[in-house]
Amino acid sequence: MAFPMAAPAALAAARLARAALADLWQALAASHRMAAPVACDGVFRFQETADLAAVRLDYNTTILPAKKFFYPPVETIFRFHRHRGALAPDEEACEARRPLALFGLHGCDVRALELLDQVYTGEFSDPAYARARAETFIVALSCLEPGPSCFCTSFRSGPFPESGFDLLLTDLGGHYLVEAGSARGAGLLQQLGAEPADSEDQLLKTHRLREAVARFRRHIPTEGLPRLLNQAFQHPVWQALKDQCLSCGTCTVVCPTCYCFNVWDKVNLDLETGERKMAWDSCQLLDFGQVALGQNFRRDRAARIKQRIYHKLNYFREQYGKFGCVGCGRCVEACVKHIDPVTIVAALKGV
Amino acid sequence: MSTPVARPRVAVFKFSSCAGCQLQILNIEDQLLAVVGAVDFAYFVMAKRENVPGPYDLGFVEGAITSTEEVKKIKQVRGQVRKLVALGSCACFGGLPSLKNSRTQREVEAEVYEHPGAICSIPAAGIDRYVPVDGLLRGCPIDTDELLELVKAELLGITPSLRTHSVCMECKLQENPCLFQTRGEVCLGPVTSAGCGARCPSNGRACHGCRGPSDDPNARSLAQAMWEAGLTREEIYRRFQLYAGDTQAFQEGGRLP
Repeated sequence: MAFPMAAPAALAAARLARAALADLWQALAASHRMAAPVACDGVFRFQETADLAAVRLDYNTTILPAKKFFYPPVETIFRFHRHRGALAPDEEACEARRPLALFGLHGCDVRALELLDQVYTGEFSDPAYARARAETFIVALSCLEPGPSCFCTSFRSGPFPESGFDLLLTDLGGHYLVEAGSARGAGLLQQLGAEPADSEDQLLKTHRLREAVARFRRHIPTEGLPRLLNQAFQHPVWQALKDQCLSCGTCTVVCPTCYCFNVWDKVNLDLETGERKMAWDSCQLLDFGQVALGQNFRRDRAARIKQRIYHKLNYFREQYGKFGCVGCGRCVEACVKHIDPVTIVAALKGV
Repeated sequence: MSTPVARPRVAVFKFSSCAGCQLQILNIEDQLLAVVGAVDFAYFVMAKRENVPGPYDLGFVEGAITSTEEVKKIKQVRGQVRKLVALGSCACFGGLPSLKNSRTQREVEAEVYEHPGAICSIPAAGIDRYVPVDGLLRGCPIDTDELLELVKAELLGITPSLRTHSVCMECKLQENPCLFQTRGEVCLGPVTSAGCGARCPSNGRACHGCRGPSDDPNARSLAQAMWEAGLTREEIYRRFQLYAGDTQAFQEGGRLP
């Protein structure tokens, strides 16, 4: 399905004084629930907040990616009751909520949402996801300072996003360059009455982009990557990783493009009513591949590790035409054993 | 899958333990009446005066086995119940009582009793060392939600969905900062079985592994990370020894080369 944000080139660009960022926030907050990176316990999280002062646009990354807003970690799909011996869903009024505005998403996370859209609004569309995505306004943020684990330039998902947003903010020092990526983004710019950007702003943005790209020290060479992977199925690196990996599943939970989930019924004690639940699942867990009679497709830990890397860097591309990794570095940051796709690919290449 | 019994007769037995897990049954305050309506607590000494002899449909056993008397008794219990569930970490794999297993019985007996002559203890073990067990409710103490899931599954005649992947999964789903990664606190979450809702790490305390090993745990690799985080071999050994030192997985963790 097509989102309004899919407009190709920037429809409009404006200069926004730093102090005027509050005007943009206010204009959005008038009709949206605002969510943005917020600091808490020494880490950053995307969180709903009404307060621009709490927003940390200098964040590097968050624990969980923005997919949690469209596809919650744990949720009740519906409640049910027993009716004439069979189970029937309860009729429930869908609560009307104001649409969401995500403020300050980096390129990696914007691309990740575009990839999830292919999964969840493609051949088999998830209506709840599609609805939430279509009504969400995205203010992206050009990333000037890559974190120590970042490698988004490998997949051109960053540091500056090129699509998938309604507005894109780029910090040019004294002011922000705001570019519209959709008709509704352009409409909001119009409404703000901001001063149009000039070629100097664009030049400065290009300069900032070059500076940011030069700061990246980590890279996955994508040239010939699928071919490399297809030949590396028996590579000794998988056995070495098997000794390291804790099978904890953390890498997939924090991944912005992982989309596997588990569904189960939680029946109430009356055995007449209950709810159907859904939660993020992980291919790294032993019971993920288990089927009836205890058969398991991926009993071997090495096979599970391989599945994650191959899905991101090979299978996803075969299915959807793009790499399934966006280089956000969350899996590297979160792994107690520092298992890292960048070093895995380097090892496969024999670097 | 088994044919469900309309109102199963339930028995609760205590072995070497603190009684905290049976107390958890009574702690399901808001649902206790519904539970009592759904099952018949035929034998539950902590909770009622009149207790009826077996057989029972479902037996919950709390505590570790740590004397020859208890070995005899657990075998008798097994003979009285159709299904046997280990209630809490002591019954599952030895729990805290198994802490003593690294020393001789005489040594630990003398530490506690003035006249240990009459005490004939054996190394503490989970009940499955001596009898077949049908289900495990892990934790110190057990999680009441898991207990309810097990009871409901029994009433429906289905297998309860109690997943035993890592605590990290539950911790990350709540978006907690990783204590190991951000505060350098050694946490057993990556190799410990979930089901607690990551209660300790969600409250800023590292996981001590009370629920025992998770599925396919790589305790040896975690031990290596603990070593790199600055723990001594002795400290690492003690971490793995605390609740489930008798399990093969945690023994491997404690034996850092």
